[in-house]
Amino acid sequence: MVTSPPPASPTTASRRLQAARALWHALAAGSAQLVADLHQTWRRSLQVRVVTITLVASSLLVGGFAYLIADKITSILLENAETDVLMRLRNGSDYAGKQFRTFSQPQEAQLQDTIDGTVSYLAGGDPAQTSGVVVAITADRHAGVINTRTSPVTDIQPLVSPALRAAVADGKVAHQIRTGELAGQRTKYLVYGSPVPTRFGQVELYYLVPLARQDATAADARATVVATGVALVLLLGLLAALVTRLVVTPVRVAARTAQRLSAGLLDQRMVVNGEDDLALLAASFNQMASNLQRQILRLEEMSRLQRRFTSDVSHELRTPLTTVRMAADLIFSERDEFDPAVARSAELLQAELDRFEELLTDLLEISRFDAGFAMLDSEPTDLVPVVHRVADRLTGLAERVGVAIELDVPATAVIAEVDPRRVERVLRNLVGNAVEHGEGRPVLITLGMDQNAVAITVRDHGVGLKPGEEKLVFNRFWRADPSRARQTGGTGLGLSISLEDARLHGGWLEAWGAPGQGAQFRLTLPARAGDRLTTSPLRLVPVDVTLPFGGPRDGGPLAIGPGSAGALAIGPADGDRAEVTS
Amino acid sequence: MRRRLLAVLLGGALLPVGLTGCGIPAESDVLVDGRGPAAEAGASNGSGSQPPTRTASTDPKEFVRNYLEAAAGERDQAYNRAWGFIAPEAKGRLQEKQSEIALTVVRLRESPEVKRNNDGTSVVTLNVQQVGVLKPDGTLTAPVAAPEPRYQFALRPANTGDPGLLITDLPNVLLLSDEALQRYYVERTIYFWNSDQNRLVPDQRYQPSTMPAERRVTEVVKWLAGEPSDWLRPGVIRLPSGTAPINNATGSDGRWEINLTMPGANAARLARLATQLAWSLPELTGQLDLKIQNQSRRTIDLERERLDNPLYPSSGSPQQYCVYDGAIHPLSFPGEPSGPVPIVAAANKGIVSAALSRSQNDILAALVVTRSDRRQRLMAGSGRDQVPVLNGSSRWYASVGRPTWLRSADQQHQYGLVVADGQLYRFDDLAGMVPVPLAVEGPVTAVAAALDGHRIALIVDGLLYVAAVSLDGGVVTIGSPRRVVTPLTDLTAVDWYAENQLVFAGSEDRRPVIFQINVDGARDIPLEREIGSPVTHLSAYPAGAVGGVPTGLYMYEANRVAFRNKDIIKRDQVLDVTPPPAGTRPSNPTVPFFLY
Repeated sequence: MVTSPPPASPTTASRRLQAARALWHALAAGSAQLVADLHQTWRRSLQVRVVTITLVASSLLVGGFAYLIADKITSILLENAETDVLMRLRNGSDYAGKQFRTFSQPQEAQLQDTIDGTVSYLAGGDPAQTSGVVVAITADRHAGVINTRTSPVTDIQPLVSPALRAAVADGKVAHQIRTGELAGQRTKYLVYGSPVPTRFGQVELYYLVPLARQDATAADARATVVATGVALVLLLGLLAALVTRLVVTPVRVAARTAQRLSAGLLDQRMVVNGEDDLALLAASFNQMASNLQRQILRLEEMSRLQRRFTSDVSHELRTPLTTVRMAADLIFSERDEFDPAVARSAELLQAELDRFEELLTDLLEISRFDAGFAMLDSEPTDLVPVVHRVADRLTGLAERVGVAIELDVPATAVIAEVDPRRVERVLRNLVGNAVEHGEGRPVLITLGMDQNAVAITVRDHGVGLKPGEEKLVFNRFWRADPSRARQTGGTGLGLSISLEDARLHGGWLEAWGAPGQGAQFRLTLPARAGDRLTTSPLRLVPVDVTLPFGGPRDGGPLAIGPGSAGALAIGPADGDRAEVTS
Repeated sequence: MRRRLLAVLLGGALLPVGLTGCGIPAESDVLVDGRGPAAEAGASNGSGSQPPTRTASTDPKEFVRNYLEAAAGERDQAYNRAWGFIAPEAKGRLQEKQSEIALTVVRLRESPEVKRNNDGTSVVTLNVQQVGVLKPDGTLTAPVAAPEPRYQFALRPANTGDPGLLITDLPNVLLLSDEALQRYYVERTIYFWNSDQNRLVPDQRYQPSTMPAERRVTEVVKWLAGEPSDWLRPGVIRLPSGTAPINNATGSDGRWEINLTMPGANAARLARLATQLAWSLPELTGQLDLKIQNQSRRTIDLERERLDNPLYPSSGSPQQYCVYDGAIHPLSFPGEPSGPVPIVAAANKGIVSAALSRSQNDILAALVVTRSDRRQRLMAGSGRDQVPVLNGSSRWYASVGRPTWLRSADQQHQYGLVVADGQLYRFDDLAGMVPVPLAVEGPVTAVAAALDGHRIALIVDGLLYVAAVSLDGGVVTIGSPRRVVTPLTDLTAVDWYAENQLVFAGSEDRRPVIFQINVDGARDIPLEREIGSPVTHLSAYPAGAVGGVPTGLYMYEANRVAFRNKDIIKRDQVLDVTPPPAGTRPSNPTVPFFLY
């Protein structure tokens, strides 16, 4: 914040400037922080908003009324004073006119005495009793002959402005408010002037009435109005705060309860007090929660029953199947003795029984997953032999369909804490699928690893996947083309089971595919069991594909995931999005 | 969010700003409330003319006469007007008095003497008689200096191109001729209450005739609030000390307003003040609003007030009597009432002179009777219609003058004054005579009481005086007499001719004459110059009791012959006279007098 003072000019001014700058910066930072805090409070608290709006609106309203009232009081006071003084002035002018009527020359000595007497009379005689009212008679047209007389004796010159003088000299009754010092104290004066016609010309009569009392009264009234207004505004604010609190508190309770409900605490309920709207809300909320709970429990029960049913059916089928199997094995072994058509049937029977057995096994596996009985049996495993084993095992099938299986495996061992049986099953499934859909083109198995994870991709160059099918492939019994012949005799549950296996490891199983460009599946597993995955060592989208939108960004991985409205979204991969969420 | 915050801050800031903004402004524009009052037609100036200016005459005699008039008029300009006659180099010779401006009123005893020099200058010598000093309150007080000084005025022609004259030397006193006093001043009578507050006593004042009517009223109010004339002071009381008019009296449309400060103003005092004002302002009619400290306290109708409170008890027409053969007899004149002699016949003998007076229903009688050795004494009595018993004084005197009754409003205590052997006595209706001390040395020769009973005229040592009489507590005290300067010498008789007029007899250039004079000596009018012998007895009836020149009823005796105005009272005008035996010389009616 504080920049070091420039060595060339270590003057006081520059130091001051720096200090000022520092202060300014500190203030700016502080106020920025304050503003930010206020903003946050404003956004978060309904109560603050309501109270603030109430305060502002009521301040404006009360302020407006207070102004009107104070203004009215002031103008009434002033009007009263003016009426009063004007009456006195008219009477005084009449009186003075009568008094001066006998004089025809301004030089007459008695005239000055009469002026003295008149002024003194109009001022009420005793100067100590006149409450500050100053009466003056001037004769601008006879200056030098007739002296200005005031009672009490004082100099009124500063208070009678030339404009007022001119108006009165013009034969008009006029008034003006002036501030000045007559009795040693600065006071507002209401200065009234009237011409007094005489036989020798005009003299002027002035009343200077102090407005101290009116001013004090107006100030009093103003203070009262302000105090009342402020109290009213505060009261309104308090009221708004109270009312909002009354409304907001149950809403907050409802929000908290809803949060708890959504967190799974289905037996959370709101407290119902009284019979008002908020009580109705709480009751409705509680009813909704009960209904939801009941529904959820019912669905859970149904789901449980369904899984149980699947498991039970699988188990129940296995026993007769064993018997059938034994019989079928016997028939199969004796098939050479049958006529060829029957022998063919025995072979078919044997094959379908194999598939049936497989299906049952898979169903049992799935139901184990569903029931949550699947257990991970992790151990540090070198994945290279696993990959090799799978490739070897499927070489026969591959050769049958004319697909070459290529491996891209690191030379060193790739050790990860995994369940080798399950990993092998997944790989077998993936490679089997790739060979099956490989359309005679080679299948590439790549193994990669980094600090945290290991990944295996299986790439084929078959028909590929249509947009949206990346998710569907993991569905149970899903087929890209139901009419296509099943060569490998897959059960339709393989990918589902593989996905469950990957999940069991805390890993990802993802698919990518594009029509005509083949497909790639990637299995990513944490190197240590229980670790959380953030990235994958291998790309999901192969480097050799042509992508829409000009391809990926330089040097960054791409992520494919669900987009809006079911579309496939392809974009730069980032940590959050590199997870298959289905 | 930021906008809302701004609105909050703005609202918070506007509230106090708005509230402080709606107070009484420190300054405002000039706001016109309408036209001011228009000038009303004011009272016109006094009708009197202004005294002549310096250029009015180039004749030294006239010029000096004009100078003697210059100071007349409104007092504050008196010195300025006088200085207008004086050469610039001589202005220092007439120095303005710092205290009050008083004018010395002089009566020219003869025409000014002029001595002309060759260089155009001249010296005018005035032989004057000081009549009195005109004070700012309009009173003419007795002269202070030697009563008959000579004044010299040196004159020179004014500068070239200026036709007039200028005074280069003059007496350092502001002079006013008695003619100017009559010409430029108005006589006014104001009234003060006597100490018993049952009788109004007139006080003569002078007011410049140029003074506007409204100001005259104010002036009169000021006089009433102030002091009475010096010589009257023992006989009257003034308003409570501290009484003063507040500003000018104002009046319009027959309604007058007089505003006063008056300590201890109560209804009785205000009633008396109202009466005082009604009589002191005889020219006013309509309503008079008497305000004390701006509060209207009493409103009177002036004419009604004067009707309800007459100055003097009305006594009808005077009846005239004379002494014939030592007895009182009524006189009869055509068209005038006459009545019977209001004393018992037994007492109606040996009478030298007599005074009868009406006091409400009673008649007071005071007779001077003589006995065989020519010594005289006073007899007095009272009674209804006719005085039944007359009591004689215990002493006999060599000579007793004509008695006079003090017309007191108090019926229980009736007093009179009489001169016996040059000494003034007071007597009552039992003829008990008590000497009354006088502040003036010398033999008293005549005494006469005014209608109000509180003023008397005296002739002491041949000079005329007036004095106030106080009857306070039944004790008759005479105030310090005021000298009335007259043009006559060797005064012999005096009586009251009007409210403020005296008629007196004396000598003018050794010729007996009868003059009428103001009570302060300012104005004298010769009534009778063809008498031939000194007047020994003078009696008058103040016909115009409320000012004005009386139609003139005075009777006198000279050389043992009685006159009524200018005519001899003949014997056949005396009633109830038994014709004298043939051959004897019928006696003449003597000492005629009035009963009123």
